[in-house]
Amino acid sequence: MEQKGGVLMQRYELGRLLGQGTFAKVYHARNIITGMSVAIKIIDKEKILKVGMIDQIKREISVMRLIRHPHVVELYEVMASKTKIYFVMEYVKGGELFNKVSKGKLKQDDARRYFQQLISAVDYCHSRGVCHRDLKPENLLLDENGNLKVTDFGLSALAETKHQDGLLHTTCGTPAYVAPEVINRRGYDGAKADIWSCGVILYVLLAGFLPFRDSNLMEMYRKIGRGEFKFPNWFAPDVRRLLSKILDPNPKTRISMAKIMESSWFKKGLEKPTITQNEDEELAPLDADGVFGACENGDPIEPAKNSKPCNNLNAFDIISYSSGFDLSGLFEETDRKKEERFTSDKPASIIISKLEEICRRLRLKVKKKDGGLFKLEGSKEGRKGPLGIDAEIFEITPVFHLVELKKSSGDTLEYQKLLKQEVRPALKDIVWNWQGEQPQPLQHGVVQKEEQPSYPGISEVVPQSTA
Amino acid sequence: MGCYCSTSKKTEAQGYEEPTILSSETPFTVSEVEALHELYKKLSNSIVEDGLIHKEEFQLALFRNKNKKNLFADRIFDLFDLKRNGVIEFGEFVRSLGVFHPNAALEDKITFAFRLYDLRQTGFIEREELKEMVLALLHESDLELSDDMIETIVDKTFSDADINGDGRIDQDEWKAFVSKHPSLIKNMTLPYLKDITLAFPSFVIRTDIEESEM
Repeated sequence: MEQKGGVLMQRYELGRLLGQGTFAKVYHARNIITGMSVAIKIIDKEKILKVGMIDQIKREISVMRLIRHPHVVELYEVMASKTKIYFVMEYVKGGELFNKVSKGKLKQDDARRYFQQLISAVDYCHSRGVCHRDLKPENLLLDENGNLKVTDFGLSALAETKHQDGLLHTTCGTPAYVAPEVINRRGYDGAKADIWSCGVILYVLLAGFLPFRDSNLMEMYRKIGRGEFKFPNWFAPDVRRLLSKILDPNPKTRISMAKIMESSWFKKGLEKPTITQNEDEELAPLDADGVFGACENGDPIEPAKNSKPCNNLNAFDIISYSSGFDLSGLFEETDRKKEERFTSDKPASIIISKLEEICRRLRLKVKKKDGGLFKLEGSKEGRKGPLGIDAEIFEITPVFHLVELKKSSGDTLEYQKLLKQEVRPALKDIVWNWQGEQPQPLQHGVVQKEEQPSYPGISEVVPQSTA
Repeated sequence: MGCYCSTSKKTEAQGYEEPTILSSETPFTVSEVEALHELYKKLSNSIVEDGLIHKEEFQLALFRNKNKKNLFADRIFDLFDLKRNGVIEFGEFVRSLGVFHPNAALEDKITFAFRLYDLRQTGFIEREELKEMVLALLHESDLELSDDMIETIVDKTFSDADINGDGRIDQDEWKAFVSKHPSLIKNMTLPYLKDITLAFPSFVIRTDIEESEM
């Protein structure tokens, strides 16, 4: 209420100032209920309105909602008053990566690790149609474990120069990290421009100074435009090759994300992406073994080890699966469904052998099998580690079963694709029907278009498709 | 920006309540209530442009089909419609969704589910009601089970839940049954409500909330 308490919306207690810029101030804050630390970016609405960026900000907020990645700073929620907008974000403890580099160049293996994490974050966002457009040192933070976190993704409308304290930073708005096509103000491909910036960042990590530097701004532009830079003598041949392909001034011939990730320099010592449990704001830890047993058997200690192939559904379980009960439709989230279920008129043994057959064909490892629950894992490294899939069989009657499929880890888009293109077709002959689906599936959105008049100011809020 | 939104600001639809008041009575912040209002405006004008959610609009949102009838959707609509006047007003929408908030009290969720299943509002879930609901779900899923099988399922559940054996499930028995089977109220929590402000960010421009009300 009053400034003295510094409590926002009865939810966040504001703490110290973390940083400040033209449009925004960033404060440390604590969630009063959970105790969690967050960073709150407070933006002056007046200033934003003046430069006409308000629509862009709205769009970017909707897009950021789809981004959950271990190396991207998460946007939790936004709040607003008449005069201010508040972005509540993940708080990252360790400060900027470039505080490290300012003490001197990094060892090659350290630089590579940060670069791998950077590329993993940027590639993930690109797969969701989000470009950063302003990758630079100030936006690379380190958490308490020394892992990279990219901040301000999708919030490029608010991009600005925060620091002017050193060569590595974008001094006085010089475009040291910006791709030539951006400088030239041609219509450009944001993803390609991000790749260029990643190249400059990698160079700086390995060298301790910028690839394009000149006291004369025009001269610097010229060097960037020609991709004119030199390698220090300690740059190994393989990283020189990679950097030459990234810092290609022609965006059309510049190396792609996929090719960067295939390069031998990049692949060396590649760690598995950190698996995060919270990606979809799941309410219960899906991977905690025994949770399942606790739910279905009413016995929190003993996991299901009865000889029955799967668990029975009681009458209330059965009715709780009604699509009329699923209010997610109100939020237009049908594409983001967490679980899919189908009924089958086949006995459990047939369903199980079908699942096993699919696993063999798609090379999914069965990591665990317990009372009708199959924990499966993909063999390929995905964007967020191998896919984890839970398939669980429940008995309605001995001749009718319900099977629930859900992602337990990995990249949501990769999961949806696998499910749609491989798993669902393969299950065809054991599926009686898929829960909550119309006999002739209607294209989401199309029906609404026919039945409701358009009303401006609302349609723009519809979340963009994740495809 | 469309004229609809800017002109309606002062003359809000029937049942509109101030976000600050709704926020104080629910787990939502003022901003979350305002984001819900963006959603509400969309839902409540999808067929009849009167700023109230009618049954058809509710069905359209849930099933992408305004004519699809569903026993459980009907029950939820009726429970949301606190004033029982056939439409869901904004205040009713926010208060009822509050129960589905991840931070809402478990107790409230359990009670809401009980009222949902107490089809005839007798204060008990009767055997007949449970059977009716099972039949409705099976029908919805195109499952045909013999009457014997359905009876077996209902009997089994009743023998587990109806502790005092009086042929109906009361509130306490329901609570005990849910605590043994917590997955039964999974539907009572909507994770979407947690990032509602990111899904409907237009309120950040429209809001009239003073700094002092934050």
